[in-house]
Amino acid sequence: MLSLALASLRHRRSAFTASFLAMLLGATMVMTFGSMLDTAVAPGVDSASSETLITMASVVGGWSLLLVAFAVSSTLALALRQRATEMALLKSVGATPGQLRRMVIGETLVVCLAGATAAIPFGWGLGHLLLNLLRSTDQVAEGVTHAFGPIALGQGYGITLLSSLAAALIASRRASRQRVTESLLEARAPVPARIGLVRGLCIAFFLAAGIAQAVLTATVMYGKGSDAMQTAGSADIWFAIGLSLFAPLLIRRVPAALPPIVLFIGIATGTLSMQDMDNRAAAAAGLVKTTEQRNIETLNLVVIAMIALFACIMLINTLIAATAHRSREFGQYRLIGATPGGLMARVARESLALTAVGAVLGTAAALVTILPYSYARTGEWTPDLNPFISPAVLVVAAVVTFTTTLATTRRVLRTPAIRAVFA
Amino acid sequence: MTKEALRLHGVRKVHGTGENQVVALDGVTLSLSAGTFTAVMGPSGSGKSTLLQVAAGLDRPTSGEVFVDGREMTGGETELTRFRRDRVGFVFQQFNLIPTVDVLANVLLPAKLAGRRPDTARAEEMLGRVGLGDRLRHYPHELSGGQQQRVAIARALVTSPAVLFADEPTGALDTRSARDVLALLQEAVRVHGQTLVMVTHDPVAAARADAVVFLADGRIVGRMISPTVDAVAERLAHLGDDLVRG
Repeated sequence: MLSLALASLRHRRSAFTASFLAMLLGATMVMTFGSMLDTAVAPGVDSASSETLITMASVVGGWSLLLVAFAVSSTLALALRQRATEMALLKSVGATPGQLRRMVIGETLVVCLAGATAAIPFGWGLGHLLLNLLRSTDQVAEGVTHAFGPIALGQGYGITLLSSLAAALIASRRASRQRVTESLLEARAPVPARIGLVRGLCIAFFLAAGIAQAVLTATVMYGKGSDAMQTAGSADIWFAIGLSLFAPLLIRRVPAALPPIVLFIGIATGTLSMQDMDNRAAAAAGLVKTTEQRNIETLNLVVIAMIALFACIMLINTLIAATAHRSREFGQYRLIGATPGGLMARVARESLALTAVGAVLGTAAALVTILPYSYARTGEWTPDLNPFISPAVLVVAAVVTFTTTLATTRRVLRTPAIRAVFA
Repeated sequence: MTKEALRLHGVRKVHGTGENQVVALDGVTLSLSAGTFTAVMGPSGSGKSTLLQVAAGLDRPTSGEVFVDGREMTGGETELTRFRRDRVGFVFQQFNLIPTVDVLANVLLPAKLAGRRPDTARAEEMLGRVGLGDRLRHYPHELSGGQQQRVAIARALVTSPAVLFADEPTGALDTRSARDVLALLQEAVRVHGQTLVMVTHDPVAAARADAVVFLADGRIVGRMISPTVDAVAERLAHLGDDLVRG
C-alpha cells in the first residue's frame, strides 16, 4: 500500500500542500519554543536565565503545542475528508479497510516527516532570534548560547506525528465504515447538521478545560500579578477549540473554516488584551516603567504576534483548501445559469456569515481569558480594555477571510464549467 | 416555414496547442428547425460531445458562428451564461442535481440564479409532467437514478429554452428508466413543441428522433430522416468504411 500512498501523494500534490504547510509551520513554532528548553538545560546556564527560558517554553510553548496539535489534525482531517470519493473507488476495486488505513497512515507519515524535517532550519533560526531578543532585553544572561537539540526535535516531531496520526486514524475509520455504493453515489446525502457522541464529548472536554483554566486564574492566581497569564493565556485556546467544534450546526458552507477563524479571533483578542491589561495595571500601580519592563512588554508582544500569525496562516490555509475543493459544486451552478459574478457574490455572503459567527464565538472565547485575568490582576471583573484591540482583530479576520476566499474562488472559476463538473 | 432554432456555421474547435493539437470539430455547418428532435451519433472521439458543448454555449468555438433562436452566441462567460439562461437547457449523463436542496428547490434554482421570481406553480407543474409531483420535498439522494434524471429534465424545461441539449441522457440508466426518460423527451417535442438535440451512442435512443446526424473525425458524414433502430445501427457500423473510402 505504500507505493499506492506515494503515487497518491505525487498526483495530489496540491491537495497535500495544505497539510504540509500546517505541519511545517506548526513544527517550526513548537521547535522554536522547544529550543528554549534545550538552551535552558545546557551546562553552564545560570539559574535565573534557565528559569526565564523554562517559564517561556512551558507557558507559551504549552499554548503553541495545543494550538499546533489542533491545527495539524483539523487541516489533515479536511484533506482526508475531501478524498472520500477516491477512497470509495479504492474500496470498489477491492481495497480492504485495513489496506485503506495503511495507505492513509503511510501518506500521513510521509507528509508529516517531510513537514517536520523542513521545519528544522526555520525552528532553529527563529529560536536563535528569540534568544537574541531575550538576551537583548536582559532576561537571559549575555553568555547563554542558543542550543537546538533533543527537546526541540522531540516536541516538533512528536506533536506533528501524534496529532496527524490521530486525524488519519479517525478519517480512515470513517472511510472504511462508509459503504462503497453510498460513497460513490453522485447525489450523496448532505452531511447531517448534528453533533455525534465523539464530537459531543470533545466539546465538553475542551469547554471544561477552558473553564478550569479560567477558574484557576480567578482563584489560585488571584493577586499574583502577571503570573496569572500562565493559566489565563490558554483558557481562550481551549474554549475556542470547544466552541468551534459546533461548526456543523452553525455554518452550512465550509464549516472547516470556522475553527481557525474562531481560534485567530479568540487568541489574538484574548492575549493582546491580557498583555494590555497587564501594562495598564502596572501603570495604575504607579510604577514608573523601567527600560527592562518595556523590553519585556515588547518581547511578550512578539511572542503573541507569532502565535496569532500562526492562527492567521492556518485560517488562510484552510480557506484555500476548502474553497479550491468546491470547483465541481461551482461548476454545477454555472451549468444551470450562475454567472461568475453571481457566484462571487454568493461566496462573499458566505464569507460574511463565517466572519460573523467567528466574531461571536471568538469574542466569547477571548472573554474566558480576559475576565478572569482582569479579576486576578486588578480585583475587578470589568476590565479597563483598550477599545481598539477587538475591532482591529475583527477587521484583520474579515479582510483575510474575504480576500482569501474571493481570490481562490476567482482562480477556481477559471476552469471552464464543463471541465470542472465532468473532469 | 418553421423557425430556425439552432444554426452552426463553419464551426471549428481545436483543443490543445502546438504539437498536441487535436481538431475536435472541423467545419461543421448545421441548421435545425424549431420543434424538431435531432440525434447526433458517431464513434468515440468523433466530436459529438464537443459539438453539443459548443452549440450549447458551454464552450467557445475556435472559429465559426453559433446562432440560437436567431441570435449569435458571443461574449465572455458572464454574457454566455445570461444568453444560456434564456435560450438553452441541458441534460447530461450525470444528473448534476444540487445534493443539499430538495427536488422542488433544484427545479426553482435556474430562475433564482437568473434573478427572476421563482414560479413555484410552474415548477410543480413540470415535476408533475415528469411524474414526480409527489416527490417535491425529497432530496436527490432519496431518488433512483431514473427519477433524478427526470428532475434534471424538469429543471432544464422549466425555463422554456429555445433548444434543449441532452448528452447521453440515458447513459447511466437501466433499460426501463431509459425508456421512461426517452418517452419524456419525446413528449416534450411532440406535445410541447420543444426543440431537442441529443447526443447518444444508442441506436434505440436515436430511433426516437426525427433525424439523425452522423459525425466522424469532427465532420458531418451523413444524415438520416425518420430513422429506425436497424437502419441507424447498420449505418453506424459502416461509418468507418465511408471514412476509409472517402
